[in-house]
Amino acid sequence: MSAHAFTLASASSRSPLLFAAVMTDETQTLAQGLSRRDPGLLDHLIELYQHRLYRYLLFLTGNPALAEDLFQETWIRVLERGHQYNAKSKFESWLFAIARNLVIDVSRRKKMPSLEDLGDKESNQPFDPPDEHSISALQLLVSRENHQAVQLSLLKIPAYYREVLLLRFHEEMGLEEIAAMMSAPVSTVKSRLYRGLAALKSALPEGSV
Amino acid sequence: MTENLHIRAQKFFTQSLVEGLSHADQSWLDQHLHECAGCAREIASTQELLHALRTVPVSIPRDLAARTQLRVRLRAQESAQTSHGNFLLWVITGFSWFAGVLSAPLVWRAFAWLGNYLHVPKLAVEMGFVLWWAVPALFAVAAVLHQKGFNISPWRGPN
Repeated sequence: MSAHAFTLASASSRSPLLFAAVMTDETQTLAQGLSRRDPGLLDHLIELYQHRLYRYLLFLTGNPALAEDLFQETWIRVLERGHQYNAKSKFESWLFAIARNLVIDVSRRKKMPSLEDLGDKESNQPFDPPDEHSISALQLLVSRENHQAVQLSLLKIPAYYREVLLLRFHEEMGLEEIAAMMSAPVSTVKSRLYRGLAALKSALPEGSV
Repeated sequence: MTENLHIRAQKFFTQSLVEGLSHADQSWLDQHLHECAGCAREIASTQELLHALRTVPVSIPRDLAARTQLRVRLRAQESAQTSHGNFLLWVITGFSWFAGVLSAPLVWRAFAWLGNYLHVPKLAVEMGFVLWWAVPALFAVAAVLHQKGFNISPWRGPN
């Protein structure tokens, strides 16, 4: 797999067309490995995506213990539904979509109102920052002052804004990619990004950042 | 009018972050930011916010990857064993169905003879014959359902 990573890096530096071709080969190989339930490949993928997936789940749930459970559950789903990955989309989009569906399932089961909104196709509720004291243990993970302010503000905004902000500005996903992952129209993603940015800015304490 | 220009600059900047700007709009924004210190400050603050968002440190729990790898491997083994068990169950079911079809005429004759011998009404004989067929199938369905119920029970960990 590290040889593949090298191939990808050198291909991307030479030509976008070659990169696309290598990328297609790569995702095809990945899809075949997943449908074979290749344990070595799964180990490698868990290692490779651990930070991104855990961060996504943590940002979405705001709860480290729940994020950890869902992290493991996501990979169990990848194992069991690997044959459904058709290599037409990026692996990370498929992976995040699985994680997202698990978050929605859990939020419905446990009646977590802040996350239930993720399942809505269009949520036009007004932005209403919650009480500071209700913020979860996520804040303990923050070290620097600006980061703390940003992270606290992230927890104050609704999960469906947090999600698109993370995917767009942290994962640097395209609008279409996010829309496909969320099974929502691009217009919804755009409107959530605009509203999310505004909500994040207004949720920041005065003088921070 | 001036206020409108600042609002427009803000709008263009957010648009550039979300969906990109046309060349003309980007030039207008650059020009405005060059001239307006207030907007430039505001936009720098948003850029700083996004930078902070991109670099928020998240510490991953210790051994999470290793624990997940172990759990995935255990589930894979469990699934492989279950699918082997399922395969055997299907083979046995198929064989018993095939044997049942082959033996149906003989069983029918045996039921008819027994009905005559014991003077049992014809309807009871026919029902007995149907049950002879249905009971093993019902047992097979119950076995499959039981096995499936076992599979979807939550994983409690290796300890």
